Amino acid sequence: MSQKNSALYILRLALTLLAITAAVAAALAGVNAITAPRIAQANALKTQQAIEAVLPGGGEPLDVFPDETGLVSRVYASDTGYAVEVTPTGFDNTITMMVGVDKSGQVLGIDIISHTETAGLGAVSAAKTTAGEVFRGQFAGCSGEVSVAKDGGSIDAITGATITSRAICSGVNAALACVAGLN
Amino acid sequence: MDYINSLLGILLSAVLTENFILVKFYGICPFMGVSKKIDTALGMGMAVTFVMALASAATWAVNAFLLVPFGLTYMQTVAFILVIASIVQVVEMFLKKSVPALYQALGIFLPLITTNCAVLGVALVNVQKGYDFLQSVVNGAAGGLGFTLAIVLFASLRQRVDKADVPKCFQGFPITLIAAGLLALAFMGFSGLKVF
Amino acid sequence: MNFKKQFEEGLLTKNPVTVQLLGMCSVLAITTSLFNGLGMGLSVTIILICSNVLISALRKVIPSQIRIAAYIVIIAGFVTIVDLLLKAYLPDLSESLGVFIPLIVVNCIILGRAEGFASKNGVLASAVDGLCQGIGYTVALVIMCVIRELLGSGTFGGGLLNGGEGIRLLPAQFPAMMMVMPVGGFLTLGFVIAGSQWLMARLDRKNRKNRKGGR
Repeated sequence: MSQKNSALYILRLALTLLAITAAVAAALAGVNAITAPRIAQANALKTQQAIEAVLPGGGEPLDVFPDETGLVSRVYASDTGYAVEVTPTGFDNTITMMVGVDKSGQVLGIDIISHTETAGLGAVSAAKTTAGEVFRGQFAGCSGEVSVAKDGGSIDAITGATITSRAICSGVNAALACVAGLN
Repeated sequence: MDYINSLLGILLSAVLTENFILVKFYGICPFMGVSKKIDTALGMGMAVTFVMALASAATWAVNAFLLVPFGLTYMQTVAFILVIASIVQVVEMFLKKSVPALYQALGIFLPLITTNCAVLGVALVNVQKGYDFLQSVVNGAAGGLGFTLAIVLFASLRQRVDKADVPKCFQGFPITLIAAGLLALAFMGFSGLKVF
Repeated sequence: MNFKKQFEEGLLTKNPVTVQLLGMCSVLAITTSLFNGLGMGLSVTIILICSNVLISALRKVIPSQIRIAAYIVIIAGFVTIVDLLLKAYLPDLSESLGVFIPLIVVNCIILGRAEGFASKNGVLASAVDGLCQGIGYTVALVIMCVIRELLGSGTFGGGLLNGGEGIRLLPAQFPAMMMVMPVGGFLTLGFVIAGSQWLMARLDRKNRKNRKGGR
């Protein structure tokens, strides 16, 4: 029957697909409404915790800050120093981290907010394990520019995760440059 | 100049240092299944590259003009896969009419491009990395080129493996996977390559 | 509907990973820690059961010409729901699995079961099928994770046990780092499938011997 090719039949097919898509969209809108506030809350908490970890006492967000590297996304300022959120590119994707810098340009500490580095390798940088804390602790007290030992610097890279370590160094450098520009 | 550098950087990384198949693991299914003859592999690779570039462009546009302004980012997965399925459908119809020889050679693998992780993967990664339109298209095309490079290399490997004496329980996919693993090991040598 | 048969098929003879060779992208990419493997396996199983049930329930209503597109939309819907729920309640797992959660949409297992089983069978049978295939997938994932994690990092239960560090079973200098890299994924899967093929060949020989001996 020629009905199969008629425009009306194709329209019916398209409408059925549209109906299914609309039903799915409605269901998703519902789930999104339930989960979105919780997700936003979790994210805000994570950022807040990261600021506290590197800049005790927290800080107020700044609207304007100098950034030549393109890595700095947010800066929070307080009386003791700054908390700079940077996003260097690691092995797999962007690493979001918070760098605390005091007014004299010395790093107070770093905290990794999010990443997708390989478990057991680059992920160690963010882990709450001894190895992770040892790695992150190296940055405290640094100033000017940091780099891994392979590039002539003082930072011991994570075994097998040179790229991740290099990325974190570049993030710290971007933060230091930003604070130098603010002072 | 900086912008062109960034584009070249994306190109180089998608093809070599972060090769879509051998490093990031997108597009494995067709990689295993189609690559026995080099010319089929090449044809498949070209088709995928074309779809990936087109899909990157289309999904970027849908995301930028439809999903983000209306706060519908949770519909990304659904919208993107529908866009990709439509593109593949159109490419299929086009090939059937214009290049029937290629259409026959690709067979079932053409509609299967829809379920190729590489196509949806690159679309999602473009959004994740916040690429603009041109960067997304370059990433999509380059990812496809990396995919093509990997499957052509792999097809030639498989031709040799098929003639070798393989232990019984390794015959078929196991030995293929081990060969792919060695190829992945070789590509690890590119890591850290940063010319641009 | 034979539950035992479906379970055995899902686990061994028709295992989605080792026999049907589906869903390989996720198997190779995320199997670096037990946490990832269990999380992904559970997510895929839930999505598989839900989509199988819904597609089976709607199988007489969806016109054949648009069925693949319709299945994809339904599957994408469930994947997004799981994605949002994970982001809200298990953010660590969501971050660890990253882009591979939305990529579950193109996981050939789910579309394959929808087209191959759910579109032709009743709701209960489809649900059971989803469960069995999901379990088979999870078992394959867990085996991969345990091997790769043990040989690559020297630990067991990474992300879950011992406060996230996993129980260290091998001294730190011992593991071969390449096991948690793409190479290791390919090699491990190759050996796992070889092992499964060997196991099935042995079972097949035993069945044939039993049949001959019984005469």
